[in-house]
Amino acid sequence: MAKEVYRFSAGERFVHWCHGVAFLLLLFTGLGVLVYAFQPAMNIFGGIQVTRNIHRVVAVLFTIGMIVGFIGKGQGARQMRRWFKDVINFGNDDFAHAKNFPIEFFGGHKPFPPQGKFNGGEKLNSMFTILGTICIVISGYIMWFASGPSLLLQWAYPIHAACALFMAALLIAHLYLGILHPDSNQALKGIFTGWVPAKFAYEHYEKWYNEEAKETIRG
Amino acid sequence: MARKMVFVDTSLCTGCKACSVACKAWNDLPAEKTKRITSYQSQADFTPNTWTYVRFREEYKDNKMHFNMLKLQCFHCDDPACMKACSSNAIYKTESGYTLVDREKCIGCGYCAANCPWGVPKIDEATNKMYKCTGCIDRVENGMKPACAQICQPGAIQFGDYDELMPKAQARVAELQLTNPKAHLYGDNLMGGTTYVYLLQDRPGAYGLPLNPTTPISLTLWKDIVHPLGGIAIGASAAAITAGVIVNLVRGNYANRAKNIAESHDEGGK
Repeated sequence: MAKEVYRFSAGERFVHWCHGVAFLLLLFTGLGVLVYAFQPAMNIFGGIQVTRNIHRVVAVLFTIGMIVGFIGKGQGARQMRRWFKDVINFGNDDFAHAKNFPIEFFGGHKPFPPQGKFNGGEKLNSMFTILGTICIVISGYIMWFASGPSLLLQWAYPIHAACALFMAALLIAHLYLGILHPDSNQALKGIFTGWVPAKFAYEHYEKWYNEEAKETIRG
Repeated sequence: MARKMVFVDTSLCTGCKACSVACKAWNDLPAEKTKRITSYQSQADFTPNTWTYVRFREEYKDNKMHFNMLKLQCFHCDDPACMKACSSNAIYKTESGYTLVDREKCIGCGYCAANCPWGVPKIDEATNKMYKCTGCIDRVENGMKPACAQICQPGAIQFGDYDELMPKAQARVAELQLTNPKAHLYGDNLMGGTTYVYLLQDRPGAYGLPLNPTTPISLTLWKDIVHPLGGIAIGASAAAITAGVIVNLVRGNYANRAKNIAESHDEGGK
């Protein structure tokens, strides 16, 4: 077996999958309400009214999962807070990496400065996701609980739809990089088991590898 | 069927509320417990079972009390915000100028209710369906007047073909303006032109009506910008990853990947 380093704690994986599964369910059920052509597909849940309720139940579970994932003194929650702090801290090295992103996306390679635990591209994806999630959660609860016509409710609709559609576009690219991209999909194992190939970690996150990851090496 | 019009002449209204009773009778809507809201007003707002009611405002001018009485119902806009907001294709226009809801399609999401500038559509939480004034389309299409127009004793609710009734409404405004310069029509140039057009004797605000009701900007942004852009973003993302897979295949990156991993096994990692 190739050598591996520990990348994602159980807490990080929990929040990732909580987010991922909830997002897919919410996207699917939400499209049933938003787009007329999707409505017939909602029969698999037992019709549009059941779907609307599923959307709300999943939304609540999702919100609780996110809050639980970030608060508390456990190692997982600490990791999530660290991720948050990391990704909103976007420096020159991150920019240099993100600039090369289109080249890497299509399978090319151009050297970039050593990256921390999260590289520039991942930081951008994370920031879009954080912003989109906060906006979609707030606008969603407004749509659920606001009564009567109001500016607040009227503006919640385009914000909710914009977050859903653009995060769906982001998700497509995320799935590609995680599953289909011949280089970056080496990380896929990490989000299931926590461990990624050491060589891959060194090549993609040199700074993080030298400062932290190499201490965890196994295999 | 020719475009219809209902002309609500507030200068003739006596505030008897027979219109709201006739509406309930014809449309088989159950009575609701009412209470005094203000003045003679007994209904605060539309409900799924109350599609028309009379709003009363008392105003004092020169020590004289004036009733501003207004029979309210769906305006049946030519360019309705509710129809634009509806995600279920449940709201539609008839040739005769009516804005109607197909309750087979309606899912009760409330997008219409949130975006109507007059707050007309109401969602019945029990059935998850929207209810509002139908303009008595079932009567109109069978050659009868809407129930409210039929019952109105002082003739404050007049019904007819748009082309015939509009000149009469304008003549009535001209007549009133001789003694009341504030008299004007309300609705004829709003939301693409409404089927229910009012003669008001004072500014719209005096009746609790919005001066310039419009389709909310947020709704235009949502339906005309966010939806197409969101679709483009998803399409572009899907196209980019398809191209990504193809380019990686052509470059031989998938074959190299297997080789690299095999090598890293041999080396035992870094």
